Amino acid sequence: MNARILLIEDKAGLLDTLKSLLELHDYTVITAGNGEEGFAMAIRYLPDLVISDIYMPVINGYELLDKFREHPSLCKIPVLITSGKKEDDEITNAMQKGAAGYLVKPFVFVHLHEQIKKALKKER
Amino acid sequence: MNSTHTSESNTLLSNASNVLAITAHEFKTPLTTIASIVDLLSIKLQADRYMNPFYEQQLSRITSEIFSLNNMLDEMLTINNILSGNFEAKKELLYVEEQILPLKEQFRSLTDDRKTLQITMSGTPCKILANSGQLTRIFTNLVSNAFKFSHENAPAIHLSYQENTLVITVSDDGIGIPAEDLPHLFQPYYRGSNTKGIAGTGLGLTIVKTFVAANDGDITVSSEPDKGTVFTLAFRYPDTCQ
Repeated sequence: MNARILLIEDKAGLLDTLKSLLELHDYTVITAGNGEEGFAMAIRYLPDLVISDIYMPVINGYELLDKFREHPSLCKIPVLITSGKKEDDEITNAMQKGAAGYLVKPFVFVHLHEQIKKALKKER
Repeated sequence: MNSTHTSESNTLLSNASNVLAITAHEFKTPLTTIASIVDLLSIKLQADRYMNPFYEQQLSRITSEIFSLNNMLDEMLTINNILSGNFEAKKELLYVEEQILPLKEQFRSLTDDRKTLQITMSGTPCKILANSGQLTRIFTNLVSNAFKFSHENAPAIHLSYQENTLVITVSDDGIGIPAEDLPHLFQPYYRGSNTKGIAGTGLGLTIVKTFVAANDGDITVSSEPDKGTVFTLAFRYPDTCQ
């Protein structure tokens, strides 16, 4: 069965393009435009993996990581973080909050795909 | 200028600095979108059997320009942090080669001409006390310049572990720097008189100099036009490491 990926990103252009790329690689993709919507979608669909931006309206990526860790059905789902910030404290903060990986924007899809495969392999 | 004016101009500068930082970060998402569209086009062209060397080369050029633009943004952000006194001071004991070795792969994937960074060492490795992010930035900027300006041979880094000091040279066989430019090389926005038509912000070496000094190191440069350039960096070992 294809892995189900929840993609959370508030910029529609990037959300659509990444969705198309993931679907071309045979993933089933669910999308959300902010952290709150993403959290609700995660509870509803229980994806195999989440890819989330950090700086988004309503609930940001760090708060989302906290909420995932505290939720019994979501705490085992790997969350990959994508962000334009590459400072050590941002990366450390995300990893300490349980992120499965951190990808600095801009990135090429091949690097995102490597992290997806790694995180899914670990989960299984 | 009275104290009210000083306070107002400081607030303005601080606001301008924040605007610059926010704007530069905001550019990262559209750059990722463009890079992803290039990836998408590339996959679709291949799947539909329309891909050919011309399309491949042009798509690769777009990606390369995206990352050049991103490097410029990073340099603006770094200079902005330096000017507002807002850069990391946390230092740790580390091996410099661990900061340098990943550059080999990083620059291999960004160059079309298959040149690979040469890294050599002599002496017994010893840790220095430095900020890891700043060291990475120092060598990324120097190696990026070396690739940009090199001619036939690949740029080279040599680490020489001497008695009290680690001496590192970053060299290339490129266009070199005219003697009249050398005294101004580390000034912000200064660009060599022979670099017209070559992309750059003139901030890279200012960042290098600032970060070398912040980590208690020294940097010197020797260069000859059309023969190449050698940057020499020296970092003393901490007392505990000797």
